[in-house]
Amino acid sequence: MDLTPEQTDILKELINIGVGRAAGVLNEMVHFRVLLQVPFVKILSLSDLRKEMESMGRYRVAAVRLAFKGPFFGTAALVFPPDSASKLVSVLTGEEPGTPDMDSVRAGTLTEVGNIVINGVMGSIGNLLKKRISYSLPDYMEDTIDKMLAGNEAGQDPTVLLVRTRFTVHQLHIEGDVLLLFEVGSFDALISAISSAYSATGE
Amino acid sequence: MSKVLIIEDSSYMRRIIRGILNADGYEIVEADEGLKGLQMVKTAMPDCVLVDLIMPGIDGLKVLNVLHEEMSNVPVIVLTADIQESVREQCLKLGASGFINKPPKEEVLRDTVKKIIEARNRR
Repeated sequence: MDLTPEQTDILKELINIGVGRAAGVLNEMVHFRVLLQVPFVKILSLSDLRKEMESMGRYRVAAVRLAFKGPFFGTAALVFPPDSASKLVSVLTGEEPGTPDMDSVRAGTLTEVGNIVINGVMGSIGNLLKKRISYSLPDYMEDTIDKMLAGNEAGQDPTVLLVRTRFTVHQLHIEGDVLLLFEVGSFDALISAISSAYSATGE
Repeated sequence: MSKVLIIEDSSYMRRIIRGILNADGYEIVEADEGLKGLQMVKTAMPDCVLVDLIMPGIDGLKVLNVLHEEMSNVPVIVLTADIQESVREQCLKLGASGFINKPPKEEVLRDTVKKIIEARNRR
């Protein structure tokens, strides 16, 4: 299974629109400009995915995950290096990093930020493809990349479609990644939805 | 003083909503999950309910459904991160008086709550 250049192009554009909306939402929350990188789209095995993630140089991460399902299914995550997560919580709550008050609000605040950002990304994709997507409750964790991916090991070494977009808020020294993992069984539905959208444009 | 019930599992989001609506003089009562929220509608008798959709236990759609069937005189505003048009349409079909996406814009939240409570008081 592979994506054609046209399908990859449309998928990247869908992600761009979705992440763009999510960046707008994050911008409203932190009041600073959020910069986005071009999305990275790749089909790979879970073990290769782990290597890919480790190459990001972040063995320990703060992450909010949501499972999504509908015509296609998988997991979406908002992933921060821990120090970026602390800065973001500090900006949003006014609490100083490292204080007990900060610790008490950290998980709840990041969970809600992740929920809003991921809904922005996936909701835009659902709207553009005219497909209804439903979500699990958001799940917050601070752990290693391996642990973050532990929930995606149902198969032997399943193939996933990884979509990754890096965002940065330079003024606040915050960076993070939006990750979407489409599971193998949903490739056909995703490609079909993309193809329909592609043909609907008349191109 | 009009009373607003917030049913929302995120304490961070409850704090934001409370901050916005307190400034307009509303009395705020809160529930951190759907079942507790439904009980509080009966005991606190709010003039308006703000409800999140995705919550542990009874979710926002179920809360909306129950309120629509059993207490349709209480207006409900859905406040959710879900931006899908189909979700908005479903909520409005289920009787929601308003639908606001998170994070709520201050003026949108204030105007929506004000208009919906005014409309209820005119009935």
